[in-house]
Amino acid sequence: MRNFWEQLGKIDRRIVYLFVFLGASAPLFLHVVPKFKASPEVVQAYQAIDELPAGSVVLFSIDYDAASMPELQPLLEAMLTHVFRKDLKVLMMGHWPLGLPLGQIALEKMAKRYNKKYGEDYVFLGYRPGLAAVILNMGKEIRTVFNVDYKGTPLDSLPLMRNIHNYNDIALLVGFEAGAVGDYWVQFAQARFQQKIILAATAVVWPDLYPYLQAHQIVGLIGGLRGAADYEVLVNQPGSASTGMASQTVVHILIVVFILLGNLGYYFTRTWRKPT
Amino acid sequence: MKKEIPLAITFISGFLLIVALFVPHRPFGDLEQRFNDWYIIVAGFTLILGVDSLLAHHWKIIRRRQPGAFHSMALILSFIVTLVWGVWDGLKFGNPFDPASTFLRYFYTYVFVSLQATMFSLLAFFIASAAYRAFRARTSTATLLLVAAALVMLGNVPKGYLAIPPVVAITGLLLAFHFFREGQETAETTMRIVYWGTALVILVLLYPVIQFLYHNLPAVKDWIMNVPHLGAKRGILIGVALGAVAISLRIILGIERTYLR
Amino acid sequence: MSGMDLLFTWIAAGLTLAIFSFLYRDNPFYKFAEHIYVGSAAAYWFIYLWFFDVKPKLIDAWISNTGFERYILIVPAFLSFLMLLRFIPKVAWLSRWAIAFTVGMGAGLGITGAIQGYIVPQVKAGMLPLWTGQWGNSLNYIILVVSTVTTLVYFFFSKEHKGGLGFLAKVGIMFIMIAFGASFGSTIMARISLLIGRLYFLFHDWLHLV
Repeated sequence: MRNFWEQLGKIDRRIVYLFVFLGASAPLFLHVVPKFKASPEVVQAYQAIDELPAGSVVLFSIDYDAASMPELQPLLEAMLTHVFRKDLKVLMMGHWPLGLPLGQIALEKMAKRYNKKYGEDYVFLGYRPGLAAVILNMGKEIRTVFNVDYKGTPLDSLPLMRNIHNYNDIALLVGFEAGAVGDYWVQFAQARFQQKIILAATAVVWPDLYPYLQAHQIVGLIGGLRGAADYEVLVNQPGSASTGMASQTVVHILIVVFILLGNLGYYFTRTWRKPT
Repeated sequence: MKKEIPLAITFISGFLLIVALFVPHRPFGDLEQRFNDWYIIVAGFTLILGVDSLLAHHWKIIRRRQPGAFHSMALILSFIVTLVWGVWDGLKFGNPFDPASTFLRYFYTYVFVSLQATMFSLLAFFIASAAYRAFRARTSTATLLLVAAALVMLGNVPKGYLAIPPVVAITGLLLAFHFFREGQETAETTMRIVYWGTALVILVLLYPVIQFLYHNLPAVKDWIMNVPHLGAKRGILIGVALGAVAISLRIILGIERTYLR
Repeated sequence: MSGMDLLFTWIAAGLTLAIFSFLYRDNPFYKFAEHIYVGSAAAYWFIYLWFFDVKPKLIDAWISNTGFERYILIVPAFLSFLMLLRFIPKVAWLSRWAIAFTVGMGAGLGITGAIQGYIVPQVKAGMLPLWTGQWGNSLNYIILVVSTVTTLVYFFFSKEHKGGLGFLAKVGIMFIMIAFGASFGSTIMARISLLIGRLYFLFHDWLHLV
């Protein structure tokens, strides 16, 4: 018996791997999409976009890369869907060079779906190094940072950009965060220029951003694959995030069960080791 | 001179930004903007610092035919191919990330994204096995960590509450059993009553707790995130911010100068 | 899907599997994929530096600007040039000027951001009424205030954690543990999501099984 508990406390890591692999793959084959209600913070973010009058400008910042693509890419697509359906204008830039093209790929895909024209309905600014310096100078005049768009076209020759100069002309900023860039957006664009911000973050970063939400420094907070799935539900367009929810559920339960088994093993091994 | 000029540059640039925060008018506001603009240009070059030593290191391995030379060759070759491909498409389309470029469509989408995304997805396995091995209820603080983590994990997924009845029941029974045994082993009557009483309370509360968690798990998760977690995070992050201010001040004042090495 | 897409889907799948093979143990396939990743990422930075920094900010700007605005570009160009001197050991010390500039700017930005953007608004937001007229709300506010204060006390090392201070620090560590637990649970979620994404690629985009 004691041997059994001891074994329970030290299951080989490859067995854990196998269970994680099976738990994550099996639901994909079953095509089950669990029903769920969107979290309040996500609804808050959704409403912040929904309230904007047509023609308002939304700035998307791509501050993640392929390492968090499964979480943030479906969310980006869902939000672009929402924004384009509402006839809002989109600017896109980013602080993470390795991931910036992901934003562009999603933007081009959604723009095509909703028949949006480059330069009139959306503009891709690209990237500039410097993070906080970029954010600060954009508060004065975007042209001092992005004198040209990503292809080298001067901003003034793009119709959409003619009346956009700084944060005063941007109704809402949505930062897609896999690291600390969200903090910079809040600490510089919001604190100094009162820019309205929604942060959409990976589940790793998301908890750290809660204080901003409670302090009203941001108007919405969306976290991880669950947040992305919530948004897909809100725009009524289930995608890869919703599909992933079943796998996510199974693996979470599996991990909790493993933790429980480990603790059972730990407890009983220790109890039986006690000198009696 | 090798030290004084850099220290002066650091002081002037850092100090200017602080002044400009409080006096955003001329000339400080304009100077801040100008300095930021220069920083945007110069900061880009820090991106490639270190690439030379990376390439030199692997070049050395190849030249000396050390073990791993094949892999080093793959590294240098992929560096060259990526660079040439990117520059080629960049010259052709104005930017290598033009929607029509093959660099974006093939290299980035398939090769680069696959490598990076898979590299990080390995962490799923590692973190699962780490959670299994490290999350032991050794102390009361460790237990708090474990319980918070489990509730957040289960509360964050649509059907997480399904795991609540068995997990909480087993945990509760184990706890009750633990206190029962502690009571059995103790010689003192009062302590025995306390232990057994605790065990009884746990048993009585077990069902209502399961009921409550089963029906309110997402709300419980939201409460954890918005109340105790948020308060502690705020404390931690205020501490971090204060630390950042202190370090930045040390740098601007020239006390901290490790970057000059 | 064109033939090229098909070919590259297979390459992507091969690289994905090569990296996954690390789960069994470190092996040449994994090493190969890893080295390709590092090599191409290094080249990627150069491409970015050129197309999103040097070309638009220096070359295009030099062409379109006139007068003072054109010639002032010499300053950042010179600093950038100094930065590159790091690659030449004899004059590498000159790169410190450029590094000193970026470090100074970073420090200045760090201070202003932390104070104006974090400390002040967060302390303000943390000052909550302890009694709002509603039990539930008040209790939450009390927990919020207590957890923030005790956490700060825990990280206050200038005085020994004894007596009252020690008690507060102990309460603080409880809240810190809850916060870390919540963060850890969330991190697990993130990592699992990444795996699901890769599996979806393998089963859907590559094998068309799901």
